[in-house]
Amino acid sequence: MLSYLLRRVPSALGVLFVASFLIFLMLRLIPGDPVDALAGQDATDESRQAIREELGLDEPFWSQYLSWIGGLFRLDLGQSYRIGGSVRELLANGALNTVVLAVTALLIAVTLALVTSLVAVIRDSRWLNAMLAGLNTLGLALPTFASGLLLVLLFAVVFPLLPSGGTPPDGYLARPDITVQYLLLPAICLALPVWAGLTRFLTESLRSQMRQPYVTTARAAGVSRRRLVIRHALPNALPSTVTVLGIQVGTLLGGAVLVEQIFTWPGLGSLIESAISGRDYPVVQVLLLLSVAVFVITQLLTDVLQAWLDPRIRIGGAR
Amino acid sequence: MMRPKAWVGLGLVGFVVLLGIVGPWLAPYGPIDQIEGANLVGPSSAHWLGTDEVNRDVLSRTLSGIRIDLLVVFLAVPVGAAVGVLVGLVTSWWNVTDVITQRVFDVVLAFPTLIFAIALSAFIGPGVWTIALVIVSLEVPVFGRLVRTSVRSVREMPYVEAAQVTGAGSWWVLRRHVLPNSLEPLTVQLAVSMSVAVFIEAAMSFLGIGVQAPHPSLGSLIKDGTTLMYDAPFLALGPLALVLALVLGLLLISQSLSEAHRD
Amino acid sequence: MTETSDLLQVDHLAISFAHPRPAVNDISLSIVEGEVLALVGESGSGKSMTARAVLGLLPPGARASGSIRFRGEEVLGLPEDQLARLRGRRIAMVFQEPQTALNPVRTVGWQIREVLRAHGRISAAAARKRAVELLEEVEIPEPERRIGHYPHQLSGGQKQRVVLALALANEPELLLADEPTTALDVTVQAEILALLRRIRDRTGTSILLITHNMGVVAEIADRVVVLRQGDVVETGTTREVFGAPQHAYTRQLLDSVLSLPAAGDFVHPVPAPEPPQEAPALRFDSVFVEYGSSRRGRAFPAVQGVSLDVAPGEVLGLVGESGSGKTTLGRLAAGLVPLAGGSVHVHGEDLFSSSPARRRELGRDLAFVHQDPEASLDPRMSVGASIREPLDIHRVGTPASRRARVAELLEAVRLPADVARRRPRELSGGQRQRIAMARALVLGPQLMIADEPTSALDVSVQADVLALFGELQQQFGFACIFISHDLAVVNSVADRVAVLRNGELVESGPVAQVFGSPSHPYTQRLLAAVPAAEPKEPKEPRPAHLAS
Repeated sequence: MLSYLLRRVPSALGVLFVASFLIFLMLRLIPGDPVDALAGQDATDESRQAIREELGLDEPFWSQYLSWIGGLFRLDLGQSYRIGGSVRELLANGALNTVVLAVTALLIAVTLALVTSLVAVIRDSRWLNAMLAGLNTLGLALPTFASGLLLVLLFAVVFPLLPSGGTPPDGYLARPDITVQYLLLPAICLALPVWAGLTRFLTESLRSQMRQPYVTTARAAGVSRRRLVIRHALPNALPSTVTVLGIQVGTLLGGAVLVEQIFTWPGLGSLIESAISGRDYPVVQVLLLLSVAVFVITQLLTDVLQAWLDPRIRIGGAR
Repeated sequence: MMRPKAWVGLGLVGFVVLLGIVGPWLAPYGPIDQIEGANLVGPSSAHWLGTDEVNRDVLSRTLSGIRIDLLVVFLAVPVGAAVGVLVGLVTSWWNVTDVITQRVFDVVLAFPTLIFAIALSAFIGPGVWTIALVIVSLEVPVFGRLVRTSVRSVREMPYVEAAQVTGAGSWWVLRRHVLPNSLEPLTVQLAVSMSVAVFIEAAMSFLGIGVQAPHPSLGSLIKDGTTLMYDAPFLALGPLALVLALVLGLLLISQSLSEAHRD
Repeated sequence: MTETSDLLQVDHLAISFAHPRPAVNDISLSIVEGEVLALVGESGSGKSMTARAVLGLLPPGARASGSIRFRGEEVLGLPEDQLARLRGRRIAMVFQEPQTALNPVRTVGWQIREVLRAHGRISAAAARKRAVELLEEVEIPEPERRIGHYPHQLSGGQKQRVVLALALANEPELLLADEPTTALDVTVQAEILALLRRIRDRTGTSILLITHNMGVVAEIADRVVVLRQGDVVETGTTREVFGAPQHAYTRQLLDSVLSLPAAGDFVHPVPAPEPPQEAPALRFDSVFVEYGSSRRGRAFPAVQGVSLDVAPGEVLGLVGESGSGKTTLGRLAAGLVPLAGGSVHVHGEDLFSSSPARRRELGRDLAFVHQDPEASLDPRMSVGASIREPLDIHRVGTPASRRARVAELLEAVRLPADVARRRPRELSGGQRQRIAMARALVLGPQLMIADEPTSALDVSVQADVLALFGELQQQFGFACIFISHDLAVVNSVADRVAVLRNGELVESGPVAQVFGSPSHPYTQRLLAAVPAAEPKEPKEPRPAHLAS
């Protein structure tokens, strides 16, 4: 098990390193000089040079890259060009908001997907299946911003029950009831496509497991349908579902950018937009690398989880 | 033989495609014409979808904006798919090229699409071609991986081994056996990728890194509509309905394709 | 015959599907207590469907009519919850494929406990104790350790024993066994059949055994019901049916069973070939093959130091059980697996040290026929294109001459010419294997490697295809490696035979000699395990009402 994990780590690290280099290279190739943005239109050559030296932009490419990577290992993410503070502090606040939103959405999506697919397969009634399939296709077809707007229109404008945007004013822990109110709409909006994709996959794979001979064996021994689905088919459907979930996390990150914009949620998504338009390299490169890291770590975790769920990988061929 | 789902899907897509082709001739105004005295008027017989904050007819803008989405769906996706299939076919046959290509695909797919789009637009500037490039660079690894799975499973098939024993080379096997037998999953993925492309166009234009003002696309029209959501909620409805129709139609087609293959 | 003492009584059972499929027309049968009844038939006879109907396990869309009574009570059409009470506790079922019949992510102990709990509460300790008991009953060694194992850690035979344990867990009165030994090696099959007999003798459980194998029937059944295309053609005691078959189909079925020479029997129709003057068509010189990546140091040997010659025009049978390396050796001759040591010569030329271009040329003289008729033809190609493919690869002749050659070969394998335009899925398994042979022969090869070409076919179809193979071999005069797990098949087609075990050559020689008077104990054991298609002495007096 541990050796299985260790075999996966080098390739994950490899992806991260290649990505870090590509990100760094790409940002240096972007037309437009950050010095222009910082120094203003009528700066003298001397003051421009001073800014350049202060930011270390006069050094050769390789040494800039290496000092950035070196900094990352010491958790020194560099200084923001525009806002001035350290990138780490700038990120910390936004990261908290994004993580709270994304984790809530993920929990909602996974719980709902489990419940709906299990009920659909256990009941196996025609109208229920048709209804779920319709809902599902709608969930997949509705763009995130469209569902976001519909939610705001419905629950904040037409029926003003919930706030239309923003984070809880006193932090997440002060008043849980208020936190829930603020979190509900953006989290549902973000969860919707993930729920739809996951439910579709899980329902399909549960159905195909139910056609497997081992299920017939258990059925011929008198095991009830409910138990067949939950105790026999589900554990077999989970490993591949975990992989799909891992891919959906990428969708979630992209969707977060949109959802944060719609619900004026001050997270990393809004930060990355402003940082790119302001040519704030240190912020942009850390954010890009962070999103790659989240993806790579998710892949690693899903691989491990999959191995743990499947004894054929976990224990290996004893014979 | 074809199920109702497929007909509905084809109907929806066909409708949007038709509108996109003949739309500019049907449109009562030019997409960027400003009409005197018609500021944010609601839907009426003169302006079916109303007018926007700078006096433009939303119906005319919508009809003209469809073309951008059609370009993205029917040009960018197939181009990306073709390149991906070719790269996947050729590289996955030999172990060395396979490992290298798969690592490259890993890196590309490690960037969430929208974040990749934002970064790319910063690099080459926003615009239609940026959207197309984002979609192509997303679809190449998606299709490359899909073909790789086919190559890996078909090359183990007894009929391929029988051909190899008689002296068939790699290229022969790829062309005569692997490609024809991968077509089914590829067509399903093509329809899925097309619907994703509509999403990407809409999302990029929504974030302001896609089609630039004053030219319309479905995504940018929705964005314009949402900024005035409280004053004129009707603005976004038309384009939103078209995006929904296109995505829903493509999804239904892909679902009925995959169901047909399974039977 | 309608006494209530019958345990199971099936009357005029008919099963139909919305779309055309093997169905059941009119099947009636009965089983009394303690009896082993064999349901015999080829594919499409409806034997499996009949058994599934008893437990309400028909596939969705199937409609069943008629009557199935268990201890006098109607079970056909019972609602799901009442069926669930019947399943496993009073009637249990065992399936053909032990590889997939067990839940791959649950332990053996868990699966037994689950089956026990389906019919009432039971404490964890009691369930564990019962699980160990059951594994002992099905004769699995070290039951205490095995209950913690997952299916993939067990051998095929052990898996089938576990499946049997699941079926016996709730002490059913009737056991439905659907081809329980078909997927197993002969020696394992013999063990499982013996176990089934002991279970019947010990517990008095009646067994409805579904099989296509007349040898298995003769080995274990008290009575036989012969089915063909959904109808009963003959019913009788095993001795009656084997001794004096009433129906022509039963006779045909018995005739297509291939037999092995009795011990000491040295007569064989094909005289041993003369010692070869020319270079052998194929020569293995102490070859080694390894499986798994040798880089990670996990390689295990699949073939170890085998030396064999195949003379031109000779058919060499390669026999052995699973894991013996017989298939690997065949694939090695075709150049499909890498060689780890030794050398392979085709017509005196070293296969593995020749250039890729030369190897492609050598391919013209080489043909490969695979076991699986489902996958041996490209589903996207027409039959004609499949047969023509080798000609296309080597650019032989003109399009017209290629078409003519395809027609010639279709005639040679006795298929109508218009088959060329059809797709593989429109054809039966036997037809597909004929086409695979036609494709193999289209270039007129000197050497054919046939990997279990008939083992997926019904016995009567197998007999036809084997006869065809013999004729083609005479006509085209190719040398052949004929791989099979079925000793009787090899006996009927091969000149010489090589017996393999665990990747090593055990014994080789003329077929009549090896099968008639085997010198190695393993070969003797293998031959003894093959069930002969003639019933043994009556095991016990039958109940009175049956004798009438």
